[in-house]
Amino acid sequence: MTTTTTAPAVSQPTAQPPVPGRVRSAVDRFTARRGWGARLGYLALVLFLGYLVVLPLYRLQALAFEDGARGYDAQYSRPDIGSVIWTTVKLGGVSLAIAMVLGTLLAFATSRLPAKFAWLRVIPVLPIVMPAIASVSGWAFLLSPGPGYLNAAFRTLPWWDHLESGPIDVYTPTWIIILTGFGLTSFVYLFVSAGMAGISAEHLEAAQTSGSSTVGVFFRVVLPLLRPSLVYGGGVALLLGLGQFTGPLLLGSNTGVKVLTTEMYRRVSESPADFAAAAAAGSPLVILGLVVVFGQKALLGNQSRFVTHGGKAFRSAPARSWWAVGTVVVYGLVALVAPLFGLIAVALSPYWSETIQWNALTLDNFRTLLSTPDVIDSVVTSLVASSVAVAICVPLGFAMANLLVRGRRYTVLRLAGDLITALPLGIPAVIFGVGFLLTYTQPPFILYGTRTVIILVYVVLMLPFATRLQMTALLALGETYAEASSTSGASSAVTNVRIILPLMRPAILSAVALMFILLTHEFAASLLVRAPTTQVMGTRLYDLWANGFYPQVAAMALLMTVVTGLGVGVAMLIGGKNVLDNL
Amino acid sequence: MSGFNVQGLTKRFGATTVVDDLDLSVEDGEFVVLLGPSGCGKTTTLRCLAGLERPEGGHISFGDRTVFDSGRHVDIATHKRNIGMVFQSYALWPHLTVRKNIGYPLKVRGRKDALRGGAVERAAEMVDTQALLDRYPAQLSGGQQQRVAVARGLVAEPDLVLFDEPLSNLDARLRDQVRTQIHQLHQRLRFSAVFVTHDQSEAFALGDRLAIMKAGRLEQLDTPQRVFDEPASEYVAAFIGMGNRLELTRGEAGWRTESGEVVDLADRTPERGAGDRAVARLRKQDLHLLRSSDQAPAHHVVLGATLVTTEFGGRHYDVLVDVGGQQLSLEADTREHGAWLREAAEGAPVLVGFAPSDVRLFAPDLDEKPQTGLALTGAEARTGGTHTVASGV
Repeated sequence: MTTTTTAPAVSQPTAQPPVPGRVRSAVDRFTARRGWGARLGYLALVLFLGYLVVLPLYRLQALAFEDGARGYDAQYSRPDIGSVIWTTVKLGGVSLAIAMVLGTLLAFATSRLPAKFAWLRVIPVLPIVMPAIASVSGWAFLLSPGPGYLNAAFRTLPWWDHLESGPIDVYTPTWIIILTGFGLTSFVYLFVSAGMAGISAEHLEAAQTSGSSTVGVFFRVVLPLLRPSLVYGGGVALLLGLGQFTGPLLLGSNTGVKVLTTEMYRRVSESPADFAAAAAAGSPLVILGLVVVFGQKALLGNQSRFVTHGGKAFRSAPARSWWAVGTVVVYGLVALVAPLFGLIAVALSPYWSETIQWNALTLDNFRTLLSTPDVIDSVVTSLVASSVAVAICVPLGFAMANLLVRGRRYTVLRLAGDLITALPLGIPAVIFGVGFLLTYTQPPFILYGTRTVIILVYVVLMLPFATRLQMTALLALGETYAEASSTSGASSAVTNVRIILPLMRPAILSAVALMFILLTHEFAASLLVRAPTTQVMGTRLYDLWANGFYPQVAAMALLMTVVTGLGVGVAMLIGGKNVLDNL
Repeated sequence: MSGFNVQGLTKRFGATTVVDDLDLSVEDGEFVVLLGPSGCGKTTTLRCLAGLERPEGGHISFGDRTVFDSGRHVDIATHKRNIGMVFQSYALWPHLTVRKNIGYPLKVRGRKDALRGGAVERAAEMVDTQALLDRYPAQLSGGQQQRVAVARGLVAEPDLVLFDEPLSNLDARLRDQVRTQIHQLHQRLRFSAVFVTHDQSEAFALGDRLAIMKAGRLEQLDTPQRVFDEPASEYVAAFIGMGNRLELTRGEAGWRTESGEVVDLADRTPERGAGDRAVARLRKQDLHLLRSSDQAPAHHVVLGATLVTTEFGGRHYDVLVDVGGQQLSLEADTREHGAWLREAAEGAPVLVGFAPSDVRLFAPDLDEKPQTGLALTGAEARTGGTHTVASGV
């Protein structure tokens, strides 16, 4: 006899009893109660940063839309607006392509360096230490069609010896774009090499033992694994390219090369200043910046998913690739040595001509520079504004990083904080410059002409770096160290001071070094908020350039590089040699 | 020091209820082990005690001090709960020396007298790390680090010491050492402790009582001996080493296996609601391998089986046999059985025997496979899916 029994429902889990409404609401109230102090603190912080970051952008748009969008009318009815936008798009797109190829190639090359040439790794980062305005003028000294040293050298070649000028004209859109691409390479390199550090050596060895050549490994394994870093780095580089200001302004002004950022500057600096038209000119860049910022949020989502631990790092892969040494060295020569040579040669010459007068070399330009009170003032202003802004940014960034990493229960504040701290990365500095000029020349805070307004705009520009770098460090630390501290009886303030901050010291010093470099170089926003009496190094240099004092331009560019270098040296002294590794 | 009391503790992550209306009471000086597979809510329970997670409901008091009460809006912050905690990843702060790591709970609590009075040195001595006081955590081995972490957890003589799988990151030899050390410390200091683990041997060795958890609830709370002798459910039995599972059906002549062999359990009765069907649970050490010619001990149940695999394990062979479609694993003494087992082929007929007193009967628990975390054999995987049973007459 056969009987069929069904499985008894013995262990079927009983349905969860619904939470009584009373308990639920009690929990909610309760959640609201605990940590209300922190919530208020974060709220105040987000409001303050919102005021700083968003208000200038809002003011610009409000102005552009006044009188039936008169600003948009004025700017977009200009006959050359089509070519301005087209040049801007070319500048962004082509320089991005150049930077992506070179940056990825360099990142792969530095990962394949033989052990005794490992120090060459620093080369792709070094161009960041050199101010953009310095390398642009350095290239002008080399590739100016008339007296450019390289052009002069090229004209001695038999097939070019009939030329009066050229063969290269650095003042054309093509060369502005190429040099911009060169400038962006270091940024792409930083993103990509960070991504490579996350690929384990075993992935590569597995491909090699499976019979792939170096080229095969690169295209079949490395590139696909790098896709997230490439997308992210590419997004940043595209925005930087589209918002590029220094190159087009210095090289393109006299030849009529116009992009949206230089248009903004022109509308504000011509008389009468037309802020509405300037704001309208910047709008496409603002919109694109917003799209990229929101897009990255949507694509990347929760950043903690991308934290990886352990594993043999990509860099530990032993390699003896001489092509890698060659690639890095050639890049160093072209991106670093060549413009530096141009600067040094002009700085030591009484005047800039196509041949270097070896017997007339002089330090007079430096003497003149250093005996000019305005120049010394500008150095002091740069240093003070940069240092104060960095000092403000580090605690702000730490608080925001805490909100973003640990503030899961402050949903709205966290979202707002995330966007506010990302915006300055997406929106070109020129736009913030114009916005600050507009906002702080009128009540309630009239700060134009003071160092304060420079410091404030610097704080805004550095907010993304201060936040993101510390956020990455917090994520990497994990929760356990803090939990061990609070279970040991330490309040969160004590935990931050005794445990978290000391453990984050390397990351914070890296952030300080990076921000200091970027700020002492700052040119675009500074040019707009400076006053004739309150200048920074970059704006002084620009005045010298505009007035044609080229040997002093070169000397000033070198001075800027040295000041930055000293700053980095101090950071290394405090933070150890690895400060730049963490960038 | 004081015990603690938990009532109606409930913790959800989104729609998932991780701790479900849990009640647990621990006496002063008692060492309670929360035992269960990953995902059963034991670590979450521990973190609720520490205040690192905020429960949705319930009441927690340490001694007569309420530290959490959802109804009365009480939620004492972690650092004010006077606890010590030892983490799975040690969580020693890498920028502080061993001395500063151990001294930290005293320092942040403002206990300067204890710091000056040599409390750090005494705590380090308790775990044999006094020679390491001026080193940094990175200079220590895993075992040393975890001993330092234990010293840090105990140094301030907290009301309650929480251990979150502290031995899981250590290799087997160190695990035993540190385990013994924790046990000795508890014998000496009698601190109240909650220790989370998924390892039954740790639980048996350390616990005054074991709390076996399943899906956010307590399945059994009892002394190690009682849990070992009388597991409250098939889930508990499987988790504490009764890896062999034999499905039985009650007929007119008593219990029978699926293949119809009689299993005469004498006066053994099911412990939990077995009707006409039951599951017998057996430790592999309690199963005996017999050849057809062997005489089984008196009153033993003997079942026909076929050999599936044998693996040499030194003193014994790990043997897997098939009893009417259900696989059972057992250990066969090498001196007794080695000679013939080496020659025996797969599928060879053998007998398995066991004493009825070693069997525990449970109501079948078919829709949920307990994750035991132990080295179970294929027997676990094979059984359990059968819903239709033929009762032989």
